[in-house]
Amino acid sequence: MIRALLYLRLTSLRNLVVSRIKRLRQPKYLFGALAGAAYFYFIFFRQINSGATGRAAKKLATAPLPTDLATTLPLVAALGALALLGVVLLAWIIPSDKPGLRFTEAEAAFLFPAPVTRRTLINFKLLGSQFSILFTSLFFTLISNRWSFLGGNALTHALGWWVVLSTLNLHFTGAALTIGHLVERGVSPLRRRLTLLAGLLIAVALTLAWVWGDIQGPAAADVAGVAPFSHYVTGVLNGGLLGLLLWPFKLVLGPFLALDTRGFLLALGPAFLVMLVHYRWVLRMESVSFEEASLVHAEKRAATVAALREGRSTLGRPVVKARTAPFYLADTGRPELAFLWKNLLSTAPYLNIRTFAVLVGLILVANKWFLLGSGTDVRALRLVVSFTTLIGAGYILLFGPHLARQDLRSDLPNADILKTYPIPGWQLLLGQLLTPVVILTGLVWLAVLTAALAFEPNRALAATFTPAVRVVIALSIAAVAPLLCALQLLVLNGATLIFPAWFHSARGHGGGIEVMGQRLIFFVGQLLVMLAALLPAALAAFALIFASLWLIGVLAAVALATTAVLVILATEVGLTLWWLGERFEKFDLSAELRP
Amino acid sequence: MIEVSGLAKRYGAFTAVRDLSFTVQPGEVLGLVGPNGAGKTSTLRCLAGIIPASAGTIRVAGQDLAADPVAAKRALAFFPDEPRLFDYLTVRQHLNFVARIYGVADHEDIAEPLLEELEIADKADQLPGELSRGMKQKLAIACGLLHSPRVMFFDEPLTGLDPLGIRRMKDSILKRSRDGAAIVLSSHLLHLLEEVCSHVLILKKGEKIAHGTLAEVSAQFANGETGVSLEEIFIRATGGSEN
Repeated sequence: MIRALLYLRLTSLRNLVVSRIKRLRQPKYLFGALAGAAYFYFIFFRQINSGATGRAAKKLATAPLPTDLATTLPLVAALGALALLGVVLLAWIIPSDKPGLRFTEAEAAFLFPAPVTRRTLINFKLLGSQFSILFTSLFFTLISNRWSFLGGNALTHALGWWVVLSTLNLHFTGAALTIGHLVERGVSPLRRRLTLLAGLLIAVALTLAWVWGDIQGPAAADVAGVAPFSHYVTGVLNGGLLGLLLWPFKLVLGPFLALDTRGFLLALGPAFLVMLVHYRWVLRMESVSFEEASLVHAEKRAATVAALREGRSTLGRPVVKARTAPFYLADTGRPELAFLWKNLLSTAPYLNIRTFAVLVGLILVANKWFLLGSGTDVRALRLVVSFTTLIGAGYILLFGPHLARQDLRSDLPNADILKTYPIPGWQLLLGQLLTPVVILTGLVWLAVLTAALAFEPNRALAATFTPAVRVVIALSIAAVAPLLCALQLLVLNGATLIFPAWFHSARGHGGGIEVMGQRLIFFVGQLLVMLAALLPAALAAFALIFASLWLIGVLAAVALATTAVLVILATEVGLTLWWLGERFEKFDLSAELRP
Repeated sequence: MIEVSGLAKRYGAFTAVRDLSFTVQPGEVLGLVGPNGAGKTSTLRCLAGIIPASAGTIRVAGQDLAADPVAAKRALAFFPDEPRLFDYLTVRQHLNFVARIYGVADHEDIAEPLLEELEIADKADQLPGELSRGMKQKLAIACGLLHSPRVMFFDEPLTGLDPLGIRRMKDSILKRSRDGAAIVLSSHLLHLLEEVCSHVLILKKGEKIAHGTLAEVSAQFANGETGVSLEEIFIRATGGSEN
């Protein structure tokens, strides 16, 4: 029977690979694959082939061990084991809501009614998980090959990762099945968590008692440098009850941390023993009913995949509740406001004018009560607050449009309905952009207000940055912010209209090096377009300030430059809106997505 | 009311609809039928201005859809097979939003009786996620009818409805037709066509096979026999296969 199931797995895998290769005939996937491959080569493989790490790794296999590596590894092993202990404990205290054995809808439909024993089903799932574990092991090896504190070579690292990930997978499966077993017997999740927490507290208390009773805390010599402190920490982690608790985890990590081939082979035996114990444990849980939970999970997963295929991400989406309207929407008037009204309803409820007013009040109060004074500490704090909030404003402008997606990108699944509305494309697009522009502009204004109030130049700069100049600069940034947000959002929304097939495949389900490459191409493309769009405004601003500063003074020069920037950016936004609106009216998603 | 002349829709090298011409007068209900892949949905989406036609002209309520899409769209309503609703808007908020888009003054005076007629008045403050499939369909219909369209397009209007929902949908279509609307609907359910449609247009591989009143189309393929069902007519017209 397991041969039939193995056939299913291998055939599915082969067909997946074949379909991925076949779709490379489409340029969007071919260019994506090339970009993804180049990324992997320059980030990982070049290091292995010609980089210092690669050479060092090869040398380590044959050269005598450096003494510092031999002294570092016990600490790495102890810390790694501690991390594994933490991961394992989390699986018990905060278990996943997914069942221990997860089947797809098709697997559940074919295998549950089939004459297959539960043990075979368990083995099938464990075998199936090996495909992703092998892939993850290879990926982790690419990363860990750059770690200079490791011995061994790429092969021992890959096999070491495989041992660690396989054991963890077995443990998670066993834990989920055991929890299912406890729930079947009427043990509530709260009781289970309390029992585990109590056990954990006892273990921690015993460990602390042992550490303080036996070692009496770190001596002055232990904290005199990195080496003695590392030695001290290693001693704490390896001794007493904690050492006993960490022992099996160190066995699992043994092959990965082996210094050479001989050490690796010696470490494999105990690690396999731990795996075998876990495997026996999972098989002993075969009586636990996993079918119902698997079916529910399979249905949820199928719904999520369907939503992703339609371009609707359900990941991290909160439960939707009916809310009062953000403002009164009259029956007649500009239709753009209807989109602002609609999209504001889809945002977090706290993103409203009341919150904005409260935050402005808080900033004013904080400035009045906490940032007043002439002491060195207060001045330093003002400088930190000022620069932090300015950097925050920059981040909002740069990354905010990627996160605030209450625009056409979220509404694309409703494109059919939107296109039946009797409004020109540019108006629809403008309406769709309003919500993220309003939200991001509000955030930038708050940051600029904070920075402007907190900024207090030192004596050298005080003559240049007079209060009037600071106010004009702050107002200029505030004035330009909405157009900068709009421009960024237009680039992102434009990408979905100009390259819908690329956008759909990059945002959709499935992965692969080609999809990763598509995202890279998109990101670089967006940066280039933004740079090209900002260049005329930047050049005009610099030229105007340079030419007019000595004639009309700094305040008027900044105001003049800001006006020029506003005109240029507004023109760009207007022209782009008009062009993309035309594009939207002719937009045919069904044609773009045909194979 | 709906005038289609030489309509074609191509996706790259593939032609979904070719050289299609017909008219639908006020009060008529035209049923678009055909095997899978015949071009029914492509035709409906072109007529509703959702996708651009590759060739030909479409006039809706006297307005050229390509030359003045905004004016043409003011007169039409499109009802997709799957109701497309906004997750975060309640039933009432959906109507408020649509009213603003179409500029429907005093929309509440129209919306309240509409919600009563469609029996969703008690769900006015609920979100689409809280509604059943049938209720969602009713909300989509309410949104489409709010601006009193003179032209309506239904794509598989009975999909997912229970028997009671099917009965009400048929009644609703007939009522709008009696009120003077020109209606085009696509469906695989031939009994729906027999009960609701005044005219039928059979498509196959994007081409018109037959067009006329039900009696005319029946006569065309009945070969002199009497009492031939529409199902039999459809099979004879399409040759019993998709190809």
